[in-house]
Amino acid sequence: MKCDREQLISYLYDDVSAAERLAFERHLRGCAECHDELVALRGLRSTLSAWTPPQPELAFEVVDHRIGQPRPRTAGWRAWWTPAAGLAAAAALVLAAASALAHLEIRYGSDGFSVRTGWNTQAAVLVPSPAPSQDAQRLEAAYADVERRLHDLESASHAPAAASPIRTASQTTAADRQSDVEILTRVRDLLAQSESRQQRELALRIAQVLRDVDAQRTADLARIQLGLGKIDAMTTADAAAHRELANYLITSTRQQK
Amino acid sequence: MPSDGQTPRGASKPTENVTSIGMASTDEELVARSMGGDLDSFNQLVLRWERPIYALAYRVIGREDDARDVCQETFLRAFRALGGFKGQAKFSSWLYRITLNLCRDWIRRQRRQPVAQAPEGVDLLDLATETTPAESIEDLVARRELSLAVQRAMAVLPEEQRTAIILKEYHGLTFQEIADLLDCPLSTVKTRLYQGLTVLRRQLAGAGLGSNSMTGRS
Repeated sequence: MKCDREQLISYLYDDVSAAERLAFERHLRGCAECHDELVALRGLRSTLSAWTPPQPELAFEVVDHRIGQPRPRTAGWRAWWTPAAGLAAAAALVLAAASALAHLEIRYGSDGFSVRTGWNTQAAVLVPSPAPSQDAQRLEAAYADVERRLHDLESASHAPAAASPIRTASQTTAADRQSDVEILTRVRDLLAQSESRQQRELALRIAQVLRDVDAQRTADLARIQLGLGKIDAMTTADAAAHRELANYLITSTRQQK
Repeated sequence: MPSDGQTPRGASKPTENVTSIGMASTDEELVARSMGGDLDSFNQLVLRWERPIYALAYRVIGREDDARDVCQETFLRAFRALGGFKGQAKFSSWLYRITLNLCRDWIRRQRRQPVAQAPEGVDLLDLATETTPAESIEDLVARRELSLAVQRAMAVLPEEQRTAIILKEYHGLTFQEIADLLDCPLSTVKTRLYQGLTVLRRQLAGAGLGSNSMTGRS
């Protein structure tokens, strides 16, 4: 039997029939070259066994989306996650918070009271003043009446003597005194009603502001939570870099020895 | 000798895949149930074969993350194509074929010597957690360096030789199974193996890892 490399390989991996094995062993006894090569290849196989693959957590699983949600897979988000993405997310978070603060706007004018931020569109809705009700119309009419009567009084007191009869204290009638008391009472009523109305409106607006601020705070907290998670992942990446550096130092130290 | 494919996880842990009568289900039984719509059975196959498939992908393309992707894609493709699996070959051979095709696609995309650039940093801190009490950190480093030397030597081989060696050496396939997978004659498989091993001997000897037994000097 002459030297046959294919037979040598088959024998090396013990992938031969019994007859082929016997025949090759007979050949080996008389062929030093094949014998040495066989020994060398066995040594090589021993060395090759040192190459071991990593042992990552795999846990792949096929899931049916129709009947359930896929189980969380850390590998998935790890693969998705990169330090650059974290940096971008953190920057976006800071920008979002700054923008929200910068856009905060509180306004009160003839068209009503409004609170506006850059994020909460609901809060940005302009709140109009209440439509004039019958009460308001009645109050306005009364107010106009009071104004007219005050104007009449002022006109009477500044009128020239010739143009009007001089009115002395004795000439002041009981009806006039009654009218002044009535005017003062009405003024007080009007002021009280106006004050009450303003207080109600203020309470309404404050409640509105509190709701908006609370909504904004909840949204900001969610964003901050997200950002913290991402920053945590970045920290993990930094730790990995430090580990690499430590490994490098250990290897360098060992090589110097 | 190493043989990741001969000891898939399910085989070493038969309690993970047992039938109602207490016997481990074979691949064929799990495949049949999977084809009947039993998702759990398919996931048992995944559990059984994910590590050998990952090891094959890692050794062929040499990148951890990419090997993970190839592994995941292998099972997705297998799941989608399960209806077309006729059972003419072993289920594992079918998976290997899908994996090797995906690896070839990956190598074509990369347009580079895959394993040559593959060695990634040796994380000694991780290694330290793997060590046994009897193994010092020095032994551990030496073992990992030997592993990297083998990986680099394998990177020099042409893809055909490297794949043949990986399938035989680390996955324990028969020559006939390798020939079927690679669509080449049996003799070609043996020739590729012999040529590849010869190159590896030279490479490792050049890296100072040759020994009397490895170089054939007895």
